[in-house]
Amino acid sequence: MYVWLKGEEFKMLKLSKRSKIIVFILFILYSIIVLVPFLNIVMNSFKNLSEIFLAPFSPPTQLRWENYREAWSKANLGIGYLNSLIISSFSVIGILIISSMMAFILSRYRFPLRRALYLYIIAGLAFPARLAIIPIFLMLRDVGLLNSRLGLILLYIGTGVPFSVFLLKNFLDEVPGELEESAQIDGASPWTIFRKIDLPLIKPALVVVAIVNFVSVWNDFFFPLILISDRSKETIPLAVSVFYGEYANQWHLLSTALWLAVVPIMVIYAFMSREFISGMTQGAVK
Amino acid sequence: MKIKWFDLLLFILPAFFLYTIFVVYPFISSIYLSLFNWVGVGAKKYVGLKNFFDVLFGSFKGEFFNAFWHNIYFFTLVSIIEVSLGFIIALGLATQIKGYHIFRSIVYLPNVISMVLVGFIWGLILNPQIGLVNQFLKVIGLGSFTRPWLGDPSLAFNTIIAVNIWRHLGFYVLVMLAAIINIQPDFIEAAYIDGASNWDIVKNVIIPLTIPTAQTLILLLFIWSFSVFELVYALEGVQAGPFRSTDVLGTLFYRTAFGGLGSGRMDLGLGAAIVTLMFIVILPISFIYVRLVERRRI
Repeated sequence: MYVWLKGEEFKMLKLSKRSKIIVFILFILYSIIVLVPFLNIVMNSFKNLSEIFLAPFSPPTQLRWENYREAWSKANLGIGYLNSLIISSFSVIGILIISSMMAFILSRYRFPLRRALYLYIIAGLAFPARLAIIPIFLMLRDVGLLNSRLGLILLYIGTGVPFSVFLLKNFLDEVPGELEESAQIDGASPWTIFRKIDLPLIKPALVVVAIVNFVSVWNDFFFPLILISDRSKETIPLAVSVFYGEYANQWHLLSTALWLAVVPIMVIYAFMSREFISGMTQGAVK
Repeated sequence: MKIKWFDLLLFILPAFFLYTIFVVYPFISSIYLSLFNWVGVGAKKYVGLKNFFDVLFGSFKGEFFNAFWHNIYFFTLVSIIEVSLGFIIALGLATQIKGYHIFRSIVYLPNVISMVLVGFIWGLILNPQIGLVNQFLKVIGLGSFTRPWLGDPSLAFNTIIAVNIWRHLGFYVLVMLAAIINIQPDFIEAAYIDGASNWDIVKNVIIPLTIPTAQTLILLLFIWSFSVFELVYALEGVQAGPFRSTDVLGTLFYRTAFGGLGSGRMDLGLGAAIVTLMFIVILPISFIYVRLVERRRI
C-alpha cells in the first residue's frame, strides 16, 4: 500500500541534459507560485500599513513584532488555538479508538452481513457530510450541544469514521492473520488479540489516520461557522474569519493573523510531509 | 476467525453508532425535512413536494439554476485542468529531477492549508488597488492587464477557480505520480530497448495505464464540486457577489437555510430541498465510486 513512498528509487523517463534543466527551471517557477502568497503575508506581518501599500515588494525595513502582539489579542488567537487544539486532539483520539476497533473486526473475522457493514461504512466516503448540515444543526441544538466543543468533537468523530476504517482495514488486510489465529487457539480474547497483536501491527497506518484527521479537523471552517457562535468556543479558522471581517483594511494585522493561523500546520508538515502525502492521497484513490 | 456476537457488537457499535447518527441519519432526515416549510422553531408545515417545485420550476428557479450551472462549470473546468496539468507535472516529477523530494513537498504544500484561510490570503493578493497581482503587472509594464479580479462579474468566478487550482493541484499531481510509479518499470525499460522515444512511452504506456486513476479522480471531483463553499465565502461573502456571479449551491444553500442578509427566503425545508437535489445529482456517481473502492481494494 505504501510501496511508492518507500521505494522511491524509480526511474521512469530518461531525459537529455538540456530537457532536465528545462524541467528543473519549470519546477522552480511552480515553487515560486506556491510560495509567494506565504512569503507575502510573512513580509506584511513585519511591515506597517504604509510600507505595505507603498513598497509591496521590498522586504520590511525593521521587524515590527508589535504586529504579532496586536494581531494575537485582537484576533482572539489564544482562545482559537486552545479550542482548535482541544477539538482536534479529542476528535483524533476518538476516531483512532473506534475506527481501529471496527477495522479489526472487519478485517479479521467472518460473520454474516460483514460485506454489507463495510459497504455501509465506506458509502460515507462518497457523500460530503456537510450536505447534511441541517439535521446535524437541529440535533445538536435539541440536545444542547450547539456552541459546544463536545458537540463538534462527536460530529468530527462520526464523520471521520468512513475514511479511517477504510484505510485501517485495508492496511490490516495486507498483513496475514496467523499470529491472531494461534493466539485465539491459546485462548486469548478478541480484546487481548486486538490490543496486543493488531494495534501494534497497524501503528504506521494509525499515524497516517491521526495526521489526516487532525489536519482536516484543524482546518475545518464549515461546521464551526454553523455550529459555533460563542466567541469563547471558536476555532482558529473561525477566529481569523471574524477578524478578517472586522479589520478589513488593517493589512499588517490581517497578514500577521493569517500567518499565525497557518504556521503550525506548515511546521508539522515540514517534519512529516511523507505521512501527510501518503495519507491524503491514498485515502481517496489509487 | 470466529467471534461471539456480544464481543462483535462491543467492537463495532461505537463507530457504527456515531457514523449513523452524524452521517447517515442526517442525510435521511434532510430528505424528510424537504417536505416541510419550517424556520427551525414552532410547528413544521407539511407542504409535500412544493419546495421542489419552487426550486425547479417556481419562484426559486432562477437562483437555483444560476448556482447549479456554476457548480457544473466549476467541475468541468477544474477536472480538465487539474487532471491534465496534474498528469503533466507528475511526469516532470517522475523524471527524478534534482530536488525531487523538496519539489514534491512544495507542490503538495497548499493542500494542508485551511481552505478559508487560502481564500483570505488570496483576497489580499487579488485586491484591485494594492494587491500583489496588479502591483506586479504594473511593475513589469503590463499595467493595462490589471483587473478587478474579484469585482468583475465576468472574471470573478474564473478567479475563484484559479485560486482553487492553486490550492488543490498538488493533490492531483501526487495521485497521478503514484499511478505512474506503480507501472512496472520493466514495461518502460523494454520500450526503451525497442527504441521508443519518451513521447512514445508517455503515449503508449503511461497514459493508457494511468487512465483508470484519472477516471476515479474525475468521479471524486464531481462529488467534491458540489461541496464548494469556503473560497466563495472568503472571497465574495455569502452573497456570492458581484451580482451572484459566483454563487454556487453551497452558498445558496447556506443563505437559504441559515440566513444571511438579502437571502431570497429563509427556510430550512427549502434548504433541505436544495440539499436533497444535490444528493440526487451526486448519487449515481457516488454509487459507482463506492463500488470501485470496494472492488479495487485500494
